[in-house]
Amino acid sequence: MSEVITYFQNIKDTVSSIFEGMSITFSHFVRKPSTVQYPDRIAQQVQDTLPLRYRGILEVDMDICTGCLACERVCPINCIAIGIERNAETNQRDFTLFDIDICKCMYCGLCMEACPTGSIRHTQEFEGACNNPAGLVRHFVTENVPLYKPKKGGETETRMIQKVDIGKRYMDEIAEPES
Amino acid sequence: MSEAAGSTGLHTEDMTLNVGPQHPSTHGVLRFVVKTDGEVINEAIPDVGYLHRSIEKIGEKCTWHGYVPYTDRADYLAAMFANQGFCMAAERLGGVEVPPRGEYCRVIACELNRVASHLIAVGTFGQDIGAITPFLHALRERESINDLMEEICGARLTYNYLRIGGVGYDIKPETCARIAAFLDHFEPIVDEYNRLLSNNKIFIERLADVAVISKEDALQYNLVGPNLRASGVQWDIRRDIPYSVYPELDFEVPVGRGERGTQGDSYDRYYVRIRELLESCRILRQCLDKMPEGPAVAKVARKFKPPAGETYVRIEAPRGDMGYYVVSDGSEYPYRVRIRTGSFTAMSIIDKISPGIMVADLIALIASLDVDAPEIDR
Ligand code: SF4
Ligand code: SF4
Repeated sequence: MSEVITYFQNIKDTVSSIFEGMSITFSHFVRKPSTVQYPDRIAQQVQDTLPLRYRGILEVDMDICTGCLACERVCPINCIAIGIERNAETNQRDFTLFDIDICKCMYCGLCMEACPTGSIRHTQEFEGACNNPAGLVRHFVTENVPLYKPKKGGETETRMIQKVDIGKRYMDEIAEPES
Repeated sequence: MSEAAGSTGLHTEDMTLNVGPQHPSTHGVLRFVVKTDGEVINEAIPDVGYLHRSIEKIGEKCTWHGYVPYTDRADYLAAMFANQGFCMAAERLGGVEVPPRGEYCRVIACELNRVASHLIAVGTFGQDIGAITPFLHALRERESINDLMEEICGARLTYNYLRIGGVGYDIKPETCARIAAFLDHFEPIVDEYNRLLSNNKIFIERLADVAVISKEDALQYNLVGPNLRASGVQWDIRRDIPYSVYPELDFEVPVGRGERGTQGDSYDRYYVRIRELLESCRILRQCLDKMPEGPAVAKVARKFKPPAGETYVRIEAPRGDMGYYVVSDGSEYPYRVRIRTGSFTAMSIIDKISPGIMVADLIALIASLDVDAPEIDR
C-alpha cells in the first residue's frame, strides 16, 4: 500500500516542481530582457559602452612616444617591433618602424603599464576580423618620424598639450596606482 | 575484450565506447574509454592530455612579471586564482609585502571570480543532465560579473589583474557600489535558482545516491575543494591554512550533509557549490565594508629577481586546492614552475567510482566533479 502512496506522491511532487520552475520561466515575460539583438538592433555601439579600462586593440600615439623601448622589452610575446635610426640630415633619431602584431597580442596590458608617457594604450575597439593575418599587423610608422622629446617646462603647442594630456589621463585611469 | 556467459546462458560481450574527446558534456576536450555491459559501466578510464599547452614550461622562458598573464590560461574559468597563486609564490620568494588595500582588492576580485566559476559549474551541471533553462539563468548572472570584472581590470575572461606585489589597478568607489548592487540583486536569484533546479523533484531523483564518494575515498584519492567538502570533510585552505586577509573575514565552510540522499552523492557536490555562492557573497560584503585606504600595489622592481630558493603556495580555487611550486635561481626567469590543480585529482577518482553505474550517470558524475579540461592538462 505504502508503495502506491509513494508512487502517487512522487507524481504529485514532480508535477508541482515542474510548475514551480515554469512560474519562474513565465515571470520572464514581464521582466526586462537581458539580451540584445547583436549587432543589428543595438541602441548604442558596444565600443561606446565599454569602460575606459577595457583592454581592446592597441594604438600608439607616435607624437608622444619617446622611443624608450620599455613596451617592447616588457611584452612577453615580443609582438611589438620598434626600429630606430639616426637621421644623417637632421642628426636626430627617427622611428623607422613601430609594428604591433595584433594576431599574437594577448591584451595583457603590461606594455601600456610600462609606458612613461601613455602613448601606447588599449582602445575600446575589439572587432579585428579580416581576411588575411597580415592585415592584423598594425603599422604606426608610415614615414620616418622623429622621437618625441618632452620639452622642459611643459609643452607650448596646443595640439601637443592635448596629446600629452590624453596620455596622462589614460595613465591616471589605468596605469599602476603607485606611479 | 572479456567474454562471459551471462546468467541466462546467453553469450555477452563488453563493448568499448569512447566518450569524447568531442562530447558536449565534457566541458573541453576530455576522453573516457568506457567498457560497458549494456547500460552498466564496467570500467571508465579517463584519458587526459588533449589540452596540454606547456604552461609550466613557458614559465621558465618568461620573466617573473611576464608570466602572470600566462597563468590566466591555466584555468580560464578562474583566472584570478591562478594569478594569485603565482603572485603569492613570487612575493614569498622575493620577500614582497602586499599593502592591505591590495589584499582586499585581490579577495574581492577572487570571490567575484569564484561566484562566476560556480555559476558555470551549477549551470552546466543542469545542462549536462538535460535542464537547459537554469544554465541560461546562471550565464545571465555571470555576464553581470563579467561586466564588473571589465570595470575592475579591463578584461572579461583572462584578467591578468594581479601583479607581483598587489593588483594592477585599484578598485574605484563607483565599482564597489556596483558590486554591492550586484550582490543585492544576486542573493535573491540564488533562491530562484533553488526553486528552479535544486528543489526540482526530477533533478533530485536524478542525482540523489548517484556516484557516492565516501569520506575515505575522497581523502585517499586526494579530492580537494567542493568535491572533498561534499563528502563531509571540513577542509578549506582559506580557513585552515589562511592566506591573504581571510583570517579577518567571517565565513562558513559548507559541507555535504546528504540531505537528499547519501553524503557525498552527486546532489551534495552540486548543493555545496550553491551554498558556497552565498558564502562568497558574504565575504564580498565584508570586504567592501572593511576596505582600507592606501596604495594597492607595493613597489616592485621592473626587473624582479627574487633570491634563489623555492616555495610552495596553496590557495583555495573554485576547483579546490591550487598549488604553485616555484623555484628561483636568482635570475630574471623562474627556474621551475609547477602547478597543482584540483581537476586533475578529480579525474582520477572516476576510475574508482564508475564501475557499476549507468552510462548516463557517468555524465552526472563528471559534471558534478566540475572538472575543467584546461586545468587538468595545463
Ligand atoms: S598587451 Fe601584452 S601581449 Fe599585447 S603588445 Fe602589450 S605586452 Fe604585448
Ligand atoms: S610606446 Fe611608450 S613605452 Fe613604447 S617606446 Fe613609446 S614611449 Fe616607450
